[in-house]
Amino acid sequence: MILSAVLRPHLPRAAGLGLLLALAATAPRPAGAQEVLQYERPVDVAPTEETIGEGYVVPEVQRPRPLSAFRQVVDVTLLAVALVLAAWLAIFRRQRGWLVALTSACLLYFGFYREGCVCPIGSTQNVAVALVDHTYAVPHYVIVLFVLPLVAALLFGRVFCAGVCPLGAIQELVVLKPVEVPARLDKALGWLKWLYLGAAVYFAVLPAVERDFVICRFDPFVGLFRFTGAAWLLMLGGAMLIAGVFVGRPYCRWLCPYGALLSAFSRYAWRPFSITPDRELDCGLCQSACPYGAIEERRAVRTSCFACGRCYRSCPVHHAATAESVVPASALTSPAEPPKP
Amino acid sequence: MEYRLAQRFGGRGFAPHQFRQALRGVAVDGGGRLHAVGDSVVKVFDPDGTLLRQWATGQPGESAAVDDEGRVWVGQDGQVEIFSPEGERVDSRRDPGRLGLVTAVGFGGGDVFLADATARWVRRYGSDGSLLNNIGDQHRKGGFHIPNGVVDFAVDDGGVLHVANPGMHRVERYSPDGTLLGRFGRFDGQDPAGFPGCCNPTNLTVDDQGRVIVSEKAGPRVKVYDPDGELLTVVAAGVFDPGAKNMDLAVDAHGRLYVADTATLEICAFEPTGREATA
Amino acid sequence: MSKKHTRREVLGHAARGTALAGLGGLTGLLWMKANATFAWSINAQRCINSRLGAVGVEVCERCATECVLSLSAVRAVNEFKACGRCYICPAYFQITSAVGSDGLPTEKVCPRDAIKREAIGWIDPDDPANNFYEYTIDETLCNGCGRCVLECKEPAGLGSIRLEVRHDTCLDCNRCAIAQACPEDAFDRPEPT
Repeated sequence: MILSAVLRPHLPRAAGLGLLLALAATAPRPAGAQEVLQYERPVDVAPTEETIGEGYVVPEVQRPRPLSAFRQVVDVTLLAVALVLAAWLAIFRRQRGWLVALTSACLLYFGFYREGCVCPIGSTQNVAVALVDHTYAVPHYVIVLFVLPLVAALLFGRVFCAGVCPLGAIQELVVLKPVEVPARLDKALGWLKWLYLGAAVYFAVLPAVERDFVICRFDPFVGLFRFTGAAWLLMLGGAMLIAGVFVGRPYCRWLCPYGALLSAFSRYAWRPFSITPDRELDCGLCQSACPYGAIEERRAVRTSCFACGRCYRSCPVHHAATAESVVPASALTSPAEPPKP
Repeated sequence: MEYRLAQRFGGRGFAPHQFRQALRGVAVDGGGRLHAVGDSVVKVFDPDGTLLRQWATGQPGESAAVDDEGRVWVGQDGQVEIFSPEGERVDSRRDPGRLGLVTAVGFGGGDVFLADATARWVRRYGSDGSLLNNIGDQHRKGGFHIPNGVVDFAVDDGGVLHVANPGMHRVERYSPDGTLLGRFGRFDGQDPAGFPGCCNPTNLTVDDQGRVIVSEKAGPRVKVYDPDGELLTVVAAGVFDPGAKNMDLAVDAHGRLYVADTATLEICAFEPTGREATA
Repeated sequence: MSKKHTRREVLGHAARGTALAGLGGLTGLLWMKANATFAWSINAQRCINSRLGAVGVEVCERCATECVLSLSAVRAVNEFKACGRCYICPAYFQITSAVGSDGLPTEKVCPRDAIKREAIGWIDPDDPANNFYEYTIDETLCNGCGRCVLECKEPAGLGSIRLEVRHDTCLDCNRCAIAQACPEDAFDRPEPT
């Protein structure tokens, strides 16, 4: 009796357990009982066409389709068109609105669609290697990518930076609250891009096993263009963009190794972006409008000017004179012609 | 039925009873003597393995058979040489442009059957030497599937040809005019009744009861099937050199089975023991 | 009236001319050497998937996971004339999986079902194990993970499947992410011929 009294409260639990066990006993056996193939290979060599019979012919193995020259030609053509357009819009037409549109279009195509690769900045390394290593070849279109913006710089200044380069474009569009960087600091930092160019060339021309393409490795924006990448790369890109909100285009001004080459070439530009002297006004509003410190003594410094067009947007003469129409630069030099309301 | 290994003779070496480089074919004559070919020579042994005589052949011999008159036919590359029982060359058969490597010879109904390993089928020649028909050339897969380069067949007392089709893992039966009568065997690596690996059985012979005796490579073994294709016994496995393939077989009227180990160049003789399987 | 050229202008023209000439020379020099086939390729002998042991190993699928493209530029390819055309292909079927009612294993090796199996030649209806099948890889589905390459090698297969780079998709990055990750240095830009 005592036993039953002790056991009674446990009865429901015991019954439940017993029911479970009973169910488990009737449950279907697990897959361990299923058969697995004892595999043995029925041939030692591949059968011939005759052995397979019935007119069988060995099909062609799929081969990689050749590199499409079409895509490369399109890229190079678009680059040339964009360069010409940037030069025209910035220097001759002087319309910042359209320039922003071009910048956005280039960002979308060269940046997000082409994911920023292949780019003229990186091609510097390939060209350097090809000059040093006779076994290394650079495809044709990469040579053109390298040379075209430099030729444009010889003709029109840094129009590549104006809005064609996707790395520049993405920074260009986030410059919202630019602060002025002290001139001496700006100059000092400007030497960094030559150091970077030297380092990039050095690492590129190392023997193949040690060769390192540092421009590609430390490209801050490629992670953003691809929407994926190593954490540090994405953070670097993000940090550079955030900095770019306040300090205009830090990568372009101080780090871009191709920019070092462009600044050297644009020094001898034939028809670069220029600010013409105005004897009456000379207000200097352009200088304070330029986020990149590229205007000194109210004249554009052609080696650092990115032809963004903010200066003439804030020029009162340009405003008064143009509104809708375009006043050629030569007209502004004549003092006899008063600005029309 | 069971077998036991009775004897091993031959082997690799320079002694008269040994072979130097190759042992390719074995055949038994009416008196139970074993004829072994390889090395451009024919050696004749009595059932105990004593060498009785030997003679040279024109080319290396690939296969051998003894006809009802006791003449020894040696299949070679592109021809067959025919010797008297004493070893005198009496005739040869050629079929230029057609006959390739002759890897088996058989007789039935007055005709001669030659296995052509180059063409991958069996050719039937009349007593006058003309080609009557081929057996196996109607295969939808272009002949017998022989990755090992040897076509082997045997003619039973009823005149039916049993041909090994190793790539298809089966034995096929044909009438002399080339009609497929039946087949047995399947690809199976585990079941002893099946044929494992890429291409087995490599060789076969038929005894006077119509039982088919086959030899396999890659885990070489010899098995006996009844006329309907049911496995009767595994004669031996693990007795032969692991690298042996295309082991030719011959069986005499008492059921004594000779197997040519093509790697050690020995001839293994097996005796049936004790009980017969119930028919 | 002729326009007077200032020295500055002349120097400017000279500098520009020199620079343009320099660029032209550089272009010419590199153009002669240029080679469109200088692209990333896989050395099939070095690929670890064809060298690892057969049982119980993890596949190296870096070719699929490392590529910067969302669908990797690497594809598996079956060298047909070296393929055994077996009824049960170890690269198509997962031979360690349970066997179904038709005698074939129920699971497949390819995670994206990119291998197509088709009967070829003369099919003997009574003899399935001895019939031949062609195994083709659908390149729109394959992502180069390498599982079929791992399975098709001795002793189970004949080693006819390998990985290849698709040059029409490959971006030809200077720092190929797969090349960095490859444990056997099988990813290389071979010298132009």
